[in-house]
Amino acid sequence: MDPKLTLEEVDRDGAIAEALDKLTGGTRADFLRKAVVGGAATGAALASPALAQGRNTKKDIAILQFDLNLEYLQAAMYSEAERLRRLKPRTLEWARVVGANERGHVRAIRGLLGRDVVKSPKFNFRGVTEDDRVFTETATAFEDLTAALLKTQAAQVDSRNVLAALVSLHSVEARHAAWIRHIAGIVPAADAFDEPTSKARVVRLVDSTNFVTSRPRTKGRRRPKYTG
Amino acid sequence: MTRTRRSELGAALALAGVLIGVAVVVVLIEGSAGPSSAEPRLPPSPRSALAPRNVPLGPAPLAFWAPVRERVSARVSPTRSQSAGQVPRRTPEGTTNLVLVLGGAKRVGDRLWVEVRFPGAPDDARGWVPRSAVGGYTPVRTRLVVDRERLTATLERGRRRVFRARVGIGTASTPTPAGHFYVRNQLSRYRSPFYGPLAFGTSARSPGLSDWPAGGFVGIHGTNRPDLIPGRVSHGCIRMANADIVRLARLMPIGTLLTVR
Repeated sequence: MDPKLTLEEVDRDGAIAEALDKLTGGTRADFLRKAVVGGAATGAALASPALAQGRNTKKDIAILQFDLNLEYLQAAMYSEAERLRRLKPRTLEWARVVGANERGHVRAIRGLLGRDVVKSPKFNFRGVTEDDRVFTETATAFEDLTAALLKTQAAQVDSRNVLAALVSLHSVEARHAAWIRHIAGIVPAADAFDEPTSKARVVRLVDSTNFVTSRPRTKGRRRPKYTG
Repeated sequence: MTRTRRSELGAALALAGVLIGVAVVVVLIEGSAGPSSAEPRLPPSPRSALAPRNVPLGPAPLAFWAPVRERVSARVSPTRSQSAGQVPRRTPEGTTNLVLVLGGAKRVGDRLWVEVRFPGAPDDARGWVPRSAVGGYTPVRTRLVVDRERLTATLERGRRRVFRARVGIGTASTPTPAGHFYVRNQLSRYRSPFYGPLAFGTSARSPGLSDWPAGGFVGIHGTNRPDLIPGRVSHGCIRMANADIVRLARLMPIGTLLTVR
């Protein structure tokens, strides 16, 4: 059993590559990069309710916006898997329980950000939610990644209340990671200590999945040619 | 002697009672005062800024739609190359073409295939396309039911009716086709009073009008002749009063299922 699994390793051994890269590539997902820039920009919005109450600093808002994008991604992926019902029963049960958690995280972070909330991107999971093996490997990578990122952010936030929030998220994400690792046949806790990960690495790895896509153009202004 | 002993015992009990009372008062006072200001005090535990609660998924959607990412020939089966029809990337109105996803994907070799419904003639066609040819799935939760007998259109979300209006439908020679279809696009701000302020494109085709410009697709739109509604007056399109089509546009998302009966 492989005691560790990261998205990079998944890509290297071809697990995600097979399911994702062989499928038609789409727009490069740069939503997290946008979130970093957008976070810095919108952080200047001192009129936000949270800031007005002296709770969130610019840095904390940027961190929460970044996390919100990751939560959007996870919640959408697990929700789609639950709706499509193409996974094995125990993976589907994981998706059902963890999806409810992630949707709760989305709602809570959105509430915390108030006017600084960022909109959810559009996702295309390219069949990952319909293939048990690829779903399990991708979910393992995402949960490991999120837990590692929250560790990094915990050392960066200004507010003790936001720190407490990140810690409460972190422990749940770590449980998700352990559970999906168990399903995937990977040792849930192979090492005595976990390493944090950088935001740049998260951006790079999520980018490589091509899950974030452009919104289809479904509205137009041309004169209709319907039969009338 | 007995009286002296009794008085001594009473005095001793009274003294003991007073001492116990004093001790209790001292303990209570010290307890309420807490540690002295000279001792270090721990800060209160931080209150989490989040109060996450699980959010259930909600009711199962009626269907999923997906945008077409590349023009593709749909197959009758993933393992058979026989064509079930062409699925273009764009609609005649220039918007992204949509398909309805019918079921789960099937892996054949290293390729994933998915069964979809797409505009056919006269009813929707179905076939298999590579999963990579379509984009992300969007759940559909609404259905518009057009009743050709009663000349009504009813929008349902789950079990709730959220919209109802009288409509104009096709004449006897150019009827509105019965069947199951879906809404593909929404047009507005065009210069054509005939279609009213808003028009929805559907996957339905008007039978007998295949040579109509852009393929003879049935629309749902407003009108400049509200006096003809309700009635059997159109070339197959579903017409409604302008106020109704504007109201419908606020409630009916793209991908909504359309049932004409």
